[in-house]
Amino acid sequence: MKRKIILLLLFIFLLCGCTKEDKKVLNVLNWSSYIPDEVIRQFEKENNIKVNYSTYSSNEELLAKISSSKEGTYDLIFPSDYMIEIMINRKMLEEIDVTKLTNYNNLNRQYLGLPFDTDNKYSLPFLYATVVLAVNRDYIKDDITSYKDLINTKYKNDIVLIDDQRFVIGMSLLANGYSMNSTNNEELRIAQKWLEKLKPNIKAYDSDCPKNFLITEEAYIGYIWDAEAKLAKMENDSIEIIKPKEGIGISLDNYAIPKGAKNIEEAYKFIDYILDADIMHQILEGYPYNSVNIATDLKYKDDIMYSSKYIGTDYDNNSKYFVENIGSSIKNYDILWAEIK
Amino acid sequence: MKNKIIRSIFIVPVILYSLLLIALPIIYVLIISFYKNDSYGGMIRTFTLENYMSIFNSVYIGIFLKSFLIAVITMFICMIISYPFALAVSHKNAKTQSIFMTLVMVPFLTNSLIRMYGWIVLLRKNGVINQVLLSLNIIKNPLNLMYNNLGIVIGMVYTLLPFMILPLYSSISTIDYRLLEASSDLGANKWKTFTKVILPITFPALFNGGLMVFTPALGFFFIVDLLGGGKIMILGNLIKNQFLTARNWPFGAAIAILLIIITYILIMIYRKIGGKMDDLGA
Amino acid sequence: MRNNKLLDNIVIISVFIFLFLPIFVLILFSFNTSELNIIFEGFTLHWYKDLFYNRSLLEALINTLLVALSSTIISTIIGTISAYGLYKYDFKGKKIINELLYIPIVIPEIVLGISLLSIYTLMKMELGMFTLILAHITFSIPFVIVSVRSSLTSMDPNLEQAASDLGADSLTTFFRVILPSLVPGILSGAELAFSLSLDDVVISYFTAGPGSNTLPLHIYSIIKTGVTPDVNALISLMLLTIFIVLTISMVISLRKIKGDER
Repeated sequence: MKRKIILLLLFIFLLCGCTKEDKKVLNVLNWSSYIPDEVIRQFEKENNIKVNYSTYSSNEELLAKISSSKEGTYDLIFPSDYMIEIMINRKMLEEIDVTKLTNYNNLNRQYLGLPFDTDNKYSLPFLYATVVLAVNRDYIKDDITSYKDLINTKYKNDIVLIDDQRFVIGMSLLANGYSMNSTNNEELRIAQKWLEKLKPNIKAYDSDCPKNFLITEEAYIGYIWDAEAKLAKMENDSIEIIKPKEGIGISLDNYAIPKGAKNIEEAYKFIDYILDADIMHQILEGYPYNSVNIATDLKYKDDIMYSSKYIGTDYDNNSKYFVENIGSSIKNYDILWAEIK
Repeated sequence: MKNKIIRSIFIVPVILYSLLLIALPIIYVLIISFYKNDSYGGMIRTFTLENYMSIFNSVYIGIFLKSFLIAVITMFICMIISYPFALAVSHKNAKTQSIFMTLVMVPFLTNSLIRMYGWIVLLRKNGVINQVLLSLNIIKNPLNLMYNNLGIVIGMVYTLLPFMILPLYSSISTIDYRLLEASSDLGANKWKTFTKVILPITFPALFNGGLMVFTPALGFFFIVDLLGGGKIMILGNLIKNQFLTARNWPFGAAIAILLIIITYILIMIYRKIGGKMDDLGA
Repeated sequence: MRNNKLLDNIVIISVFIFLFLPIFVLILFSFNTSELNIIFEGFTLHWYKDLFYNRSLLEALINTLLVALSSTIISTIIGTISAYGLYKYDFKGKKIINELLYIPIVIPEIVLGISLLSIYTLMKMELGMFTLILAHITFSIPFVIVSVRSSLTSMDPNLEQAASDLGADSLTTFFRVILPSLVPGILSGAELAFSLSLDDVVISYFTAGPGSNTLPLHIYSIIKTGVTPDVNALISLMLLTIFIVLTISMVISLRKIKGDER
């Protein structure tokens, strides 16, 4: 009976046709909600390169995607600090030739030569993100200065967390006074107990767009990326951004070119494009993470995004912790994660 | 000679297809399930039963039970909705029946994710349903309709309902009405007619529907992801995570093999009670 | 048998409300001035205009149609040939082949998805359009075979005999006599293949690569990162197309039913 539909649809679709011209391509694999669509479109237009843009939502997913796909599938990826180390160990990255980048000097030296890639042989910083608390003050009036304050039976179903095992377990470790990268079994056990106490308060885990939970008031508290918190605050001014006293997690994301990439020239072009002060600013306007680009910082230092309002209430005395590569202990994290979820 | 060529034109494609694209991948998954996972996320080619043993780890048993529970509840709700509906439609005249059954299919010609998004808009805390109930003063505080098991079951029932309605309807619509009349003439009440006449006749169709609802419900990770808020896992999410994030392919493969075995057992029962395989695809 | 008409209608209406509620809501919000899909603030058509500037969405749409179209055509051809081959000829292992063909129909999609992903990885095939289309062909063929087979079994067996008595060779018989009588089965198989391909999320999720983002995959990622009403607009347009086509086909088939009743 519905066969006429099919025939008709087939006909319509044939009319639509498929016009695909031969163009240079660049296969980018990046975090979701990281580079605004317009920036990519501009780049495509200015350089006549077609960008195939795919996304991932955790470093582990990125690692899996790169290692299970054929070499040369992706040309440019954005791993975080500890993942760069893992990928270097597994010989998954091409060396980076900074002479191909005209805007290389825009990079803030402070973020070069970090322990995960001391000579920046395989990676260059893109920007960094921190994980902060965002609290809707219309509903949550209590003082919140510590992660421990989240364990409160009043907050049942009120919290949204990023879906990232290292940062969530890391928060629990910090809350209990341990290192965010602890591999001590006893400490991990205590961290698990703590997370089980937190469980009834968790509304959802979401890394891709946790701000929506806060904007729509689905959740009143978020343990989320700082850019998401800032965007939520722009929509809803009753949200307060808080950096708890135990310190916060930080993640420096980097440009890297996977082994066997086929469009390396285009990848450099893209990196160089983003290193430009104005383009980086445009990216930060879309997703207000933290710049590692000194040219952008100087040119836009009066920008609203740099105002204290969005930096939030700081109890942490500026202690920021990187996620570190913990080798095979990651298995214990995996099991713990499966058990608390 | 010429006939031989013609013969091979007709049978070689199906042989190649079923061996290369169906048998080979599944055999390979079976082989992987006996491999060992190295700490780098690669696979060591040995023979181990470790992956099957670790299924009995308490964490995974919990996920299994949860998936089965969700799938069984989904199946029963689908049955409870589909039976009265199919019966009610079959009471109408031919023209109306045809219109109604087409209408049943309309939502399913749109994308299943789009429909899930529609449910998100309806079910969330300040979603349409809560707002309507609040403004009518039926409830004082918004209900938690999603990001929990309830949301998942709603999504599953919605997505899988036609797979129950269609076989039931086509089975019910072939029942000879004289049979039902005879039954009521003999003094049977409606319930008795249903259990003694309709149910036995439609049982294979019911099982068919149950099968087509139950097994997909174990695997639909995207419904659980979207309506469960990332804190609930079923077998589908577990397999997906093993393949796409945790990078433990051997373990993921072992779970997949288990799913195949479960499906196969259900199929054998279905055949035992007289179900036809071709009905499953229609 | 006496039927309670009121009860029947209540049942039917409530099921239809359940089925159409989410779709109705999305259509409603496609005309909403607010971007958040929460409260209906005012009427606008500008999301429909935005739709045509949303390049990634349109690209995904084109990819989806490309995959659906090519996998439907290929799987319909292979499926039809296979159904006839399995019907007419006996060969060693036919029973096993027949069993294998049911696997894509009955096993959970995720199992097929990871199996194909594993074999693609083993063969070092680059994930992209090709692997995606191959995957769609894989899950479509059995549905086409089942559908064509039901036409074959209801075909008059004397038809083939008569043709060969008249001196036609097997190929001629197939094209001139068998194929025409299979058209309904082939078309409904193709239709099934097409709609399965259009809607597939799970298998595509594992077998697509860069540059082969389909509409379901694209929608999956935007549902996660926040939906703007231009997506609602796309949905409404798709629904409109479906409704128009359905109405036309319904009118045609209703005429047929009327004819049959007479």
